[in-house]
Amino acid sequence: MRALRRYASSSAALIGLVLLLMVIGMAVSAGWLFPDDPLSLAGAPLTPPFTEEGLPLGTDSVGRDIAAQIFHGARVSLLVGVVATGIAIGIGILVGAVSGYFGGATDAALMRLTEAFQTVPSFILLLMLVVIFGSEVTTLALVIGAVSWTAPARLTRAEFLTLRSRDFVQSCRTLGMPHARIIFLEILPSALPPVIVYVSVVMALAILQESALAFLGLSDPNIASWGNLIGDGRRVLRSAWYVAALPGLAIIVTVLAISLVGQGVNDLLNPRLGRR
Amino acid sequence: MRILRLVLRRLSLSIPCLGIILAVLFFLLQLAPGDAVDALIGQMGTSDDTLSKLLRSYYGLDGSVVAQFTGYLGRLVTLDLGLSVAYGTPVLALILERLPVTVVLMVTSMAMAFTAGCVVGVIAARYVHRWPDTIISVLGMLVYSMPSFWFGLMAIVLFAVTLGWLPAGGISDLRAGHTGLALMLDMAKHLVMPALTLGLIFFAVYLRVMRTAMLEVMTLDFMRTARAKGLQERAVLFRHALRNALLPMVTIAGLQASSMLGGAVVVESVFSLPGLGRLAQEAVVQRDLNMLLGITVMSSVLVIVVNLVIDIIYAKLDPRIDVGA
Amino acid sequence: MTDLHVTRRAALVAGAGLAFNGAPLHAQDAPRRGGTVTVQVATDPRFLMPALRGNFSITNLAAKVVEPLVDLGEDGQPQGRLATSWDSTPDGLAITFRLRDGVKWHDGKPFTAADVQFSAMEMWRRVQNYGTIVFRNLVAVDTPDPLTAIFRFSKPMPLRLMLHAGTELSYVAPRHLYEGTDFFANPVNMAPIGTGPFRFVNYTAGQHVIVERNPDYWDAGKPYLDRIITRFIADPAGAAAAVESGAVDMSIFSSLPRTDLVRLSREARFRVSQKGNEANSIGNTLCFNHRKPELQDVRVRRAFAHAIDVNFYVRSFLLGLGKRGLGLQPSFSEFFFPGLTDYPFDARKAEALLDEAGFRRGQGGIRMTLRMTSTNGDDAVRFATFVQQSLARVGVRITITTYDSAGYLANVMRDWNFDLTGETIGFRNDPQISTTVFLRSGQPRGVPWSNQWGWESPAMDALIDAAAEAVDPDRRRALYRDLGEMVMQELPMWLAIEQVYTSVTAVKLRNDHNNPRWTGSHWSDLWIAA
Repeated sequence: MRALRRYASSSAALIGLVLLLMVIGMAVSAGWLFPDDPLSLAGAPLTPPFTEEGLPLGTDSVGRDIAAQIFHGARVSLLVGVVATGIAIGIGILVGAVSGYFGGATDAALMRLTEAFQTVPSFILLLMLVVIFGSEVTTLALVIGAVSWTAPARLTRAEFLTLRSRDFVQSCRTLGMPHARIIFLEILPSALPPVIVYVSVVMALAILQESALAFLGLSDPNIASWGNLIGDGRRVLRSAWYVAALPGLAIIVTVLAISLVGQGVNDLLNPRLGRR
Repeated sequence: MRILRLVLRRLSLSIPCLGIILAVLFFLLQLAPGDAVDALIGQMGTSDDTLSKLLRSYYGLDGSVVAQFTGYLGRLVTLDLGLSVAYGTPVLALILERLPVTVVLMVTSMAMAFTAGCVVGVIAARYVHRWPDTIISVLGMLVYSMPSFWFGLMAIVLFAVTLGWLPAGGISDLRAGHTGLALMLDMAKHLVMPALTLGLIFFAVYLRVMRTAMLEVMTLDFMRTARAKGLQERAVLFRHALRNALLPMVTIAGLQASSMLGGAVVVESVFSLPGLGRLAQEAVVQRDLNMLLGITVMSSVLVIVVNLVIDIIYAKLDPRIDVGA
Repeated sequence: MTDLHVTRRAALVAGAGLAFNGAPLHAQDAPRRGGTVTVQVATDPRFLMPALRGNFSITNLAAKVVEPLVDLGEDGQPQGRLATSWDSTPDGLAITFRLRDGVKWHDGKPFTAADVQFSAMEMWRRVQNYGTIVFRNLVAVDTPDPLTAIFRFSKPMPLRLMLHAGTELSYVAPRHLYEGTDFFANPVNMAPIGTGPFRFVNYTAGQHVIVERNPDYWDAGKPYLDRIITRFIADPAGAAAAVESGAVDMSIFSSLPRTDLVRLSREARFRVSQKGNEANSIGNTLCFNHRKPELQDVRVRRAFAHAIDVNFYVRSFLLGLGKRGLGLQPSFSEFFFPGLTDYPFDARKAEALLDEAGFRRGQGGIRMTLRMTSTNGDDAVRFATFVQQSLARVGVRITITTYDSAGYLANVMRDWNFDLTGETIGFRNDPQISTTVFLRSGQPRGVPWSNQWGWESPAMDALIDAAAEAVDPDRRRALYRDLGEMVMQELPMWLAIEQVYTSVTAVKLRNDHNNPRWTGSHWSDLWIAA
């Protein structure tokens, strides 16, 4: 309760939370507000916003309702964000924990692997994975997660390196506790806070990456996503800039909300550093 | 001597890393549906059985995967990056042709982001928790949340379409036939928006890092001492705090060298720039293994060099750190 | 005949309500010499020798440098370039070309029948895509003298087919630079040496091709232009910006967004027209995997055709820049036959046919679920989406899977891993060149853009084979009419839409788009008005 109050004392964090709830609200209400397939034709192509009743944000280049696509697109972005982040954090914690806990050759090998992944531009790797595994939306979420684990891994490793020499870990070892138990039940809880803070960064990047893929025409054509809409808008940029502008704003709001919330959580977990 | 040791140490760490990358990419791309000859035929519009077989054997795609890979590594040792199937020309020549654009783009945007990030970060730290800081923080957040391609598109709408100040894409105005200084100026004009777009993402990061670093440094003892000695606020800020706060900035810059190339894929696509990023995207679409691996080698070298330079800068900024250890 | 078609097209354009600025001007005043024309195209072909590779995107660039035996003239009929005249023996087994005298390669060597012989036998017949199909029965090219080339075939070759295929495929490469070399590694591929009105200057991958005036061109006094710069701008919006800002004088092959084409057509600075592209049109087809039980019933295929409102698609999605297809060839072709059986949009009839075929609406109103595979190109995805939407209304659920072109070829053509696909066919002046191969059975697995649909019809095969060897033009035409009708009856595939490419041209240009395949033509008479 006190934590909540402290969170609410920061106006930025509060705004972030409100925005995030708004986006979640859009995702939840999409099916109810726009029950039709958001990709079905709704009106004349390129109807500007606020000119026709029933089409509050106008239509895209083939006459699909932009508002419906933005509401349904919120689902896609959040889904991709959450799934990808879960995977990235999961792999990251595992690699980082094993690496930091065991040290030595294991650490060296895992860190070379991590470095290798960091040396290849992750977006190029992502392009390859999409080509290989296809661009169905769940696949997208998986592969985005699969290229985003390096930073959480390094963070976790750093925490484990400092924690593993602590007394409580040493005593666990002398007690003959199995490694997995020490790693996940003893050390991980204390190592988690900085990683949790990083969740917001991973999620923000995941959403941005999905939109970039869609922009390059590599997202799932069966769904309405913000990136798809921007990609469509790109073609008509010179005659109807709003088609690309509106979903862009939706992305900004979402990523902003996630970042602000992340910052709020950060302040909560690391009060010493103050606002970052 | 110290620098040499540094270089050697970096290299000894980088070569196994490069090996892992090449192997992973090589075998990954084998999993992709279709091969380079399929992509080639896709562009040709048609083919027949014999022709496809002919092309496959010509480009060495009919051997076993392992043989292909060992063959590649063997050639790599002699710095031969092989032939691009999509272009039918040596990969190295293609990369060298595209490299300058990307390097200029990356260096410009990084320099812009770094400088702007420093200045604005210092200002924010200087006025921490007062209105300039708030405005800057909000701005930084907004910029960070912006998809770069979207910013690029909106910049095109504003500066190229509506205002007509800057060219919408390409690297130079071919028709004008500029040479020498005029050509440089023309290219600079073409690079303004792309560099801004690419730099923007990183600006937000630098800004945050700089602000935090400054805040942390400013609370340190030596700062208090400096102030107590009656040094001017501004002098303290620049001579002491800034110097120390630059360390984390430089670290971040090193980490971002590779993600910048990824960002370049999108930015080059938005602005129709003939750079490495787009070449890499093409290589994936064309299943052009040699080209993809070549670009990876090149970008790894780039990342390694950048990190080396950063280590050296590090050593200069903070002589206490023994980077060679 | 050309006039008739121009009128039909004009009616189509007028009907769509687009303010097209009409046909290019063919000024009566004397041509002006000099100047540079900058052209925008979307794709970099990464290859510049049309004798080895037959492709629109190559001829668009390289036909200025390397010349074919024949091209199409303003009247749409074959016109000699390197050949001056031709005739065929009555049995169609030998076709003789008389070659132009005094033609020189850009490196100064003389052009002779030996170059033609070498190109035909070693390149077109063996490694040139399309060429390997069209010249399959070519057994020899005799050269009784340096200016005569006699093509000998083992089976009758219709003269019309030879000439119309020749406009795309009969580009002649310099024998002295290719003989004894590895064709694919020959540097001439990327820096072509030809006999054409322009000499190759520079190719920069992904950026541009520059060619300049050939002062020794055989057509004395031509070309008029000093230089042609062709820029590759893949992003349609970027291309539109380049056109509007005057950075390029021409955009060809529908490289701009359709909305921009319509918008620019209202500006006096540009001519936006489909003239000069008729011979290079494309079609959006719906292809069926006939191994799929649901799709084996012709009623299902007919129902699909009835369920899709093509006219609506053309109006709303293509902004009028296209037309409902019929039969196998586009309406410009002399092998287009009005009055074939058709399946006008009628959703209720579609539902009735599906009911009749035993596919009743089940849970959630769904009759069946199918997978539509498509390339990830804008146009292909848009068409797939429309098919998805249209079929959903009659209870057929479609999921779309997209691949890049290599992935598409592997999945559709080699692995047969699809139910429906929206295939784009490029028309090449004669059904035998690239169309009938979609229907003829017995194609080896994996051969792209051939019958990989599992379609087998002995009656259709017989018609295709007869037409391929029919030397008499009237008989040939009648056979293709029968084939068209059979295709519309059975619907092994459905040509839903035909599209002609659209060019945007600055009004200062003259003599542009003056033959039906102008973009892939020589441009020696193109000039810039003051």
